[in-house]
This record gives sequence, C-alpha cells and structure tokens, in this order.
Amino acid sequence: MRRSVSLAVFIAVAILGIGALGAGARNSSVAAQQKAETTEVKIDNFSFGPATLTVSVGTTVTWTNRDDIPHTVVSADDPKIFKSKVLDTDEKFSFTFTRAGTYPYFCSIHPKMTGKVIVQ
Amino acid sequence: MSEGFLGTAAPLAADVVLLLETGMGVTLLAGAWLARTKRFRLHAWCQSAIVFVNLVVIALEMLPSFRVQVLPRIPLKLGKNYVALAAAHATLGGVAEILAVYILLAAGTRLLPEKMRIARYKAWMQCVLALWWLALLLGLATYIRWYVLHSFR
Repeated sequence: MRRSVSLAVFIAVAILGIGALGAGARNSSVAAQQKAETTEVKIDNFSFGPATLTVSVGTTVTWTNRDDIPHTVVSADDPKIFKSKVLDTDEKFSFTFTRAGTYPYFCSIHPKMTGKVIVQ
Repeated sequence: MSEGFLGTAAPLAADVVLLLETGMGVTLLAGAWLARTKRFRLHAWCQSAIVFVNLVVIALEMLPSFRVQVLPRIPLKLGKNYVALAAAHATLGGVAEILAVYILLAAGTRLLPEKMRIARYKAWMQCVLALWWLALLLGLATYIRWYVLHSFR
C-alpha cells in the first residue's frame, strides 16, 4: 500500500514537472516572438544603425536618438508614410510597418543621413 | 530635401545661407570702406541692399528652421550648447537687423518722425556693423555645431 502511494506521488510530481517545463518553453517561445516584433534603430554619430533593416510585416521599429544633436526620422516616400518630430538626445520615435515593401527614410536636418527598412 | 555641397551634414539651404551671410558680411565691410573714402551714395546703396537681402533670407530660411528646430527647446534646453548657440545667434542677428533697418529709415528716408531720427550716424553704423559680425560669427559656430561631426563635444 505504502509503495503504491509513493509511486502515485512520484508520477504526480513527474506530470507536474513536465507540465511546468512545457509551459516555460511555451512562454519563452511567446517572449521570443514578441521580441522579434519590436526592433530598434540607433541614431548616433550622424548615422542610422543599422542603415538597412529587414523586418517582418507587423513589426514596430523604434528609432532612438543617442546623438548629442537633434535628428528626425522622415519617410522618403511621397506622400510621407512616417515623420517624427525633432528628436532630442534619448528621445524615441516608433512606427509599425503593416505592409510589405521597402521604406527609405532620412533625417530632414541632416539629409546625408539615410536608412532603409525592408518589410517582408 | 537636398544635400549640401560643403561636405558637411548640412542641407543645401544651410550651405547656401552660410555662403550668402559670409558674403554679405564681407560686402558690409566693403560698404564701410566706401564711406571712409567719402563715396556716400554708393555706400548707402551697398548697405541698403545687404540689409534688404538679409531680411529676405531671415524670413524665408532662418526664421522657419529656427521655429521648428530651436524655439520648442527654449527655455528648457538652453543648457545644451546647440540650443544656446542658435538662440544667441538669433537674438543678436535679430537685434542687428532691426537696428540696421532703423538706421536705413532714419538716414535714408523721411518716414520717421523728427524725434526718432539719429544725429550720430557714424557711431550707430559702426556699432551695428560690429553687432552684425558678432551675429555672423555666432551663426558660423551654430552651423559647425549642428552640421559638423564631433564639433564642440
């Protein structure tokens, strides 16, 4: 009798443990998916980094100004698909790309600064 | 928006304004030399033309970019040197332009009432010329800070 109780307890603990592992794996998978949906572009030293970014449809790209001079992020398409305000140091601008395509952009204060988002 | 041609990160308009303003500053010095050589009529035409052209450049180019890029940062970010430089340049430049227009009206026209006219033209003109050049040098510093990599950092 005592032996069968111990066996039942062992089986219950094992089932719970496997369940917990499975849930953990699912959670980390969800977290990985969420992480892939937000991507950051750093603005520093008068350049966008990375200058070319490839993302999937639905991804939100966030530009952060790490430079010590204001910058903007402006779509080069006509009409403009996105346009940030003037971003001071550490200010951010985000845009969610809902359609596939290539989206070139630039800084309107420093037009030599250009970048591109490729949405697949 | 077009890229500039001076090899900095500046847009075309900023490069054009920089060259125009430098040219105007030098022309004002040449105009002052005309007065020293007693060619007053030519002096008057030269200085008047520069004051008028500068007014157009301010209205079309400098004021709009100041309104968008600098004004929203005043007074909160005056501690940042790029804001302080631009604000100082705009203030001194604005005062110099207003005084220059005043001198033109006082010396070259009869539009102003008698009590608003000035007697010591030479001192006024020399002061405004000095102020103009100070504003010009601040403008050059502002250009370098905004468009030249690693400047004043």
